[in-house]
Amino acid sequence: MFCYQCEQTDRTGTTPGCAGLIGNCGKDSTTSDLQDLLVHAVKGIAQYAAEARALGAPDDDAAAFVLSAMFTTLTNVNFNPTRFAALIQEAVAVRDRVRAGYERAARVAGHEPKALTGPAVWAPGANPAELARQAQDVRVDTGLALVGPDVVGLRSLHLYALKGICAYAHHAHVLGRQSAEVYAGVEDALAHLAGGPADAADLLERAVGLGRLNLAAIELLDHANTGTYGAQQPTAVRTTPVAGKAILVSGHDLRDLEALLEQTKDQGINVYTHGEMLPAHAYPLLKAHPHLAGNYGGAWQDQQREFAAFPGPILMTSNCIIEPHVSYRRRIFTAGPVGWPGVRHLTGRDFTPVVQAAKALPGFPESPAEERFITVGFGRDAVLSVADQVVDAVRRGAIRHFFLVGGCDGPTPGRDYYTDFALGAPRDSVVLTLGCAKYRFNGHDFGEIDGIPRLLDLGQCNDTYSAIRIATALADAFECGIDDLPLTLALAWTEQKAVAVLLTLLALGIRDIHLGPSLPGFLTPALVDGLVERFGLRVTGDAGADLAAALERTAS
Amino acid sequence: MSAPEPAPVVLTTSDGGRLEFTCAPGASVLEAAAEAGAALPASCHQGTCGSCHASVTDGRYELGTHSALALPEDERERGDVLLCRTFPCGPLTAALPYEQSRILYGGIPVREAVITALEPVAQDTVRLELRLDGDADCQFDPGQFMELQAPGSEVKRAYSLANTGNWEGRLEFYVRLREGGRFSTHLAHRARPGDRLTVHGPQGAFGLHETGLRPRWFVAGGTGLAPLLAMVRRMAEWQDPQPARLFLGVNEPKDVFGVRELAAVAEELPGFRYDVCVWKPSGGWSGPTGTPADRFAAALPELAGTAPDVYVCGPPPLVDAVLRAALQGGVPQEQVHRERFLAG
Repeated sequence: MFCYQCEQTDRTGTTPGCAGLIGNCGKDSTTSDLQDLLVHAVKGIAQYAAEARALGAPDDDAAAFVLSAMFTTLTNVNFNPTRFAALIQEAVAVRDRVRAGYERAARVAGHEPKALTGPAVWAPGANPAELARQAQDVRVDTGLALVGPDVVGLRSLHLYALKGICAYAHHAHVLGRQSAEVYAGVEDALAHLAGGPADAADLLERAVGLGRLNLAAIELLDHANTGTYGAQQPTAVRTTPVAGKAILVSGHDLRDLEALLEQTKDQGINVYTHGEMLPAHAYPLLKAHPHLAGNYGGAWQDQQREFAAFPGPILMTSNCIIEPHVSYRRRIFTAGPVGWPGVRHLTGRDFTPVVQAAKALPGFPESPAEERFITVGFGRDAVLSVADQVVDAVRRGAIRHFFLVGGCDGPTPGRDYYTDFALGAPRDSVVLTLGCAKYRFNGHDFGEIDGIPRLLDLGQCNDTYSAIRIATALADAFECGIDDLPLTLALAWTEQKAVAVLLTLLALGIRDIHLGPSLPGFLTPALVDGLVERFGLRVTGDAGADLAAALERTAS
Repeated sequence: MSAPEPAPVVLTTSDGGRLEFTCAPGASVLEAAAEAGAALPASCHQGTCGSCHASVTDGRYELGTHSALALPEDERERGDVLLCRTFPCGPLTAALPYEQSRILYGGIPVREAVITALEPVAQDTVRLELRLDGDADCQFDPGQFMELQAPGSEVKRAYSLANTGNWEGRLEFYVRLREGGRFSTHLAHRARPGDRLTVHGPQGAFGLHETGLRPRWFVAGGTGLAPLLAMVRRMAEWQDPQPARLFLGVNEPKDVFGVRELAAVAEELPGFRYDVCVWKPSGGWSGPTGTPADRFAAALPELAGTAPDVYVCGPPPLVDAVLRAALQGGVPQEQVHRERFLAG
């Protein structure tokens, strides 16, 4: 295996990357190799799909398969080699169908179909040994000696951003929203990668283009979420348990949560959110379920301790799953793209075994005497509804600065930075947050400025779209560009959705982003220099110094 | 250097739990804890992820190679360690940064169960169904067994579970009644639905292995079908994609059982095939004859060189015969998973 797609990647060697028997995320080399082969097969689908779509003969079912297949390869999503072996077979079958569709469309258009090469004509090995051999030819660093580390790094940047885009678009698709623009963008970009591009300058420009594509994907998802469940509303969420039977739902898939809420209605079972599912409480049609009782625990990297202590079953609907400890392995269930060998995977949103497990397990014996709450739900509609008040507070000097502090949390050292940054923000500033990094400080009372909460939880990582809409509205109000606003971003990253979000922010011209706790391992020093020069990107340092520098930059 | 003698280790959890064990020379603290029956949280097992972070409070130790990101120098200098890379040089005590609920301790669960069904299914073979008393949490892996104990008796007998883990407290067994066997005698002559039994378990390491899409072939002799039935039922329940085939052999036609259950699996598991053969056929038997080992050996060439994972359970001669046939057919020994049952 060779993998450096996430922040946890092994940096003990001369170049970053997990290349042993097990990656730092817990992914074994067999699974990693099969994931590389699946991506290779999916590129083959994209090659034909892009041609077919250009001829007016798109195959949206194949495009949806590409989204879900790519999603399975994100960090902390699926660790089951059997699932990948089956997905590779399925991908080749889908590719062959898309090829037939393309060839028909070409002939209808009056010309001979093109003879595509590479992944388009790849045949998977007949047995595990052959697949392992093939995996050596499709590693993310293939061609390193030929094209050099910068081109390999840029190809990786494309691939990982595409994985993030696919994950977001998949979540939208689950809620019935799809976009020809996103499908075409994903297919074109994957087809381009299939050709082994080697022009570094062109790859960098295209990477910015992927940022714009991701903006379309998170806009689609925003509309899917708000269109299905209503606009987020500021909502107090209980963070203490309620006596009774309990189910914990983690991940990002609101449709799975909704289905579970329906299947547990009037059954005497309380449903709790975990990790990135916390923002679900803010959606009117989800919080209308009285047994959506509260949030339990914090960010994903604490799940082994929290799941072990939770007195009921756990449902993982998307990333981030880490090795289920034996103490709860039989009461954790996966759905959608998620998988772990030996963990029960549920399909078709039939959560009957989860409900049975909840009834069999003890649940919480009592409610604590003192209840605690946190407030979520400051999506774009909630914030923009008080935009005049916010603008006025800025004009009067009551609000000096905005900080967006958030992104993915993780186990690696250096993430206390975000706690220090948020808590160190001056009293006359507002902290916007999203993603699971918020758990590092969202239990703190930040107070208010003229009735405006100083901490505004925008939602999941994909709610970066809300942040962009809010920033755009403020920029309009002040008749300036987003980059001219008194706004500083301090973002934590772990996996590939964050890569896509970063490219979106760069594509919007947002400069001076503090990214940490380390920069991606796939970015070479030369690429980092380029990003620093062009976008002012900086790695997180000392929180106090970064805060001071941010305030000074805006003041100057 | 790590200690030439086994080193005593004491770990303390954040909520005051104590875990004491001995660390053998050359073993890490993490490995020694597992050896002692306590699985501590860990992930990479190679010093790069930091999941097994702890703080040594007393004692000398050697730290193996590890990532400075997982254990920064200043933390290392104050005595923090990664347990997967910690080799004691003598007595060692350390503090764990989590509660004891994260540790899975050993010990075989002992519970009471009520007989819900006891019915003959073949000559000298009964199907026994139990329901745990007051406990619906009935999780186990297919291939595992329970020890059953009759009231007032010290005798425990191990039987493989034939159903799959569930949340309804259901346990299902196929029991071959043996003349003079104490538990067999209890089942044959005294036990009735509604009676109670004590169950010890689940136990045992026999079980399915995740090896990708490699075909899974199962070979059963008599009530050796039980754990293999559990496995194919689990495959059906989880909709596992591996091609599966099962060979069941019994001595005589009147020993045949489990056919209805196998047919039910075939209804739910695409591509599942099974056949039942009889060693000593008599009038009325028109099906295959011979041993399941013979049937297995004859069918292996159909896979055209793809070696399946083989799961075999039955009397020792059958298990040995299947292993021989597998090796002759090009199946590596590590792909042949065996459970021998002996008369109790």
